[in-house]
Amino acid sequence: MSQQKKLLIIDDDPDFVEGLKSILVAAKYSVDAAHNPKDGFQALQSKHYDLLLLDIMMGRGAEGIMLARKLNKDPKLREIPVLIITGIREQIAFLFPGQAVHPHFMPIDELVEKPVEPKLLLDKVSELLQRAQARKAQVK
Amino acid sequence: MKIVRESLPDVVFVDLKMPGVSGFEVIEKINLLDPTIVTIVITGYATVNSAVEAMKKGAYDFLPKPFTPEELRLITQRGLEKRRLVQETIALRREKEMLREHFAAIVSHELKSPLGAIQQNLFGLEAELSSKLTESQKTLFERMKCRIADLLKLIHTWLRVILVDIKKIKESFAPVTVTTLISKAVESIQPHATRKEVEILISYEEPLGLVDGDEGTLVAALVNIVSNAVKYSRLGGKVLIKAKQEENSILISVTDTGVGISEEDLPYIFGDFYAGKPGPAAERGSGLGLAITRRIVEAHNGSISVESEVGRGSAFAIRLPALKSSVHNQPSLGAETYSDSH
Ligand SMILES: Nc1ncnc2c1ncn2[C@@H]1O[C@H](COP(=O)(O)OP(=O)(O)OP(=O)(O)O)[C@@H](O)[C@H]1O
Ligand SMILES: [Mg+2]
Repeated sequence: MSQQKKLLIIDDDPDFVEGLKSILVAAKYSVDAAHNPKDGFQALQSKHYDLLLLDIMMGRGAEGIMLARKLNKDPKLREIPVLIITGIREQIAFLFPGQAVHPHFMPIDELVEKPVEPKLLLDKVSELLQRAQARKAQVK
Repeated sequence: MKIVRESLPDVVFVDLKMPGVSGFEVIEKINLLDPTIVTIVITGYATVNSAVEAMKKGAYDFLPKPFTPEELRLITQRGLEKRRLVQETIALRREKEMLREHFAAIVSHELKSPLGAIQQNLFGLEAELSSKLTESQKTLFERMKCRIADLLKLIHTWLRVILVDIKKIKESFAPVTVTTLISKAVESIQPHATRKEVEILISYEEPLGLVDGDEGTLVAALVNIVSNAVKYSRLGGKVLIKAKQEENSILISVTDTGVGISEEDLPYIFGDFYAGKPGPAAERGSGLGLAITRRIVEAHNGSISVESEVGRGSAFAIRLPALKSSVHNQPSLGAETYSDSH
């Protein structure tokens, strides 16, 4: 990798974010964090990120999902790969009746469960980054 | 009745003898409209019979004519008090139901999130220190991670019990073959059994009918029973699974030659969080498996029973109603049994 990749974490639990961040920083990523969907959206608009790590349950409900949908409507932001990090994999089936456990609301996304082991986290992150890069190369 | 319907009063005084309608009828209608409304019967001919009749229809009390203002005041007060109590009870019950419904969410947030954050920080700390840790420090990390992971797993199991919504299961009932249930259950236990050198034997007695049920949860129920049989078996033991049809029910039995269950434990094993002594290989569970299993079986209008002898083994039996149409050579079951399996 030529350049340091920039990641953004949006999760309303600052303690969890710090744990996640230290793993990613140790793996030489540049990491920013936002603790609510609004700040997160602003950050995405004002700066370029290579990957978004997104929590689903924030605030009063599935605000992460709402944010993901909003991103999907934006022609530029929808290009950013999203790694969903959730503590409620089992309940997702209840939230999205009729859909598979893994809700495909973004073109490329992955889902991991909280807490996430360092190796799994790093594997998923680099996999998503590579896929995004390959896609970009194709378009050009 | 119109006034009652529109104003929903706290207390209604009903004269048994009214032109056109019977007082009993009025009481019944009020009771149907809102059972918390207190009705008090006023009548000139206070016979024991009519009193009993009125009470049966849902009246709260009885006031014979003529009565003093004091008597009226007293009975009204008692009626109002009664209504308040009834309404309070209902509100309490509703609150309890709400709490139960939202319990999953509460537990998930209040317990899981902090634990998850702790674990994540531990992961982070270990990643940062990875090159500097000594072997014994690594062991300490392993121990902490293990215990937290166990705790998280326990919360998950716990959530699953609460989320097993019996009404929801019933909505998705469909005919399922017993042999499918058993082979799917065995498939998921086999690795554990192989590791423990426990042999799982299956025998069917044909013809075997269908049951009306939810395949996913029924398999889960069997998995619990069979995994217990393996878990509480000794190295090299045997587990026998049998299925047969008996008149209009299907009997699935799981017999092991393991450690058995003591007489004191036996009555409690189907309860929530009841775990007996650890298994032979010191395998310990949360004591939820059988509680979930019992709930699933009962949701299918079935029953579960157990016989066991310490040191010799245990036999669990699940009985499920067979789908009537699937039995071809059953005489004398009566025609109505065909019609009620829609
Ligand atoms: N086949 C068996 N042989 C001996 N003891 C058994 C058997 N099945 C159940 N028990 C006893 O009944 C208890 C309750 O069983 P249950 O499956 O509910 O819980 P568990 O196996 O301890 O935990 P888990 O929730 O992981 O299943 C067990 O702890 C064990 O003592
Ligand atoms: Mg068990």
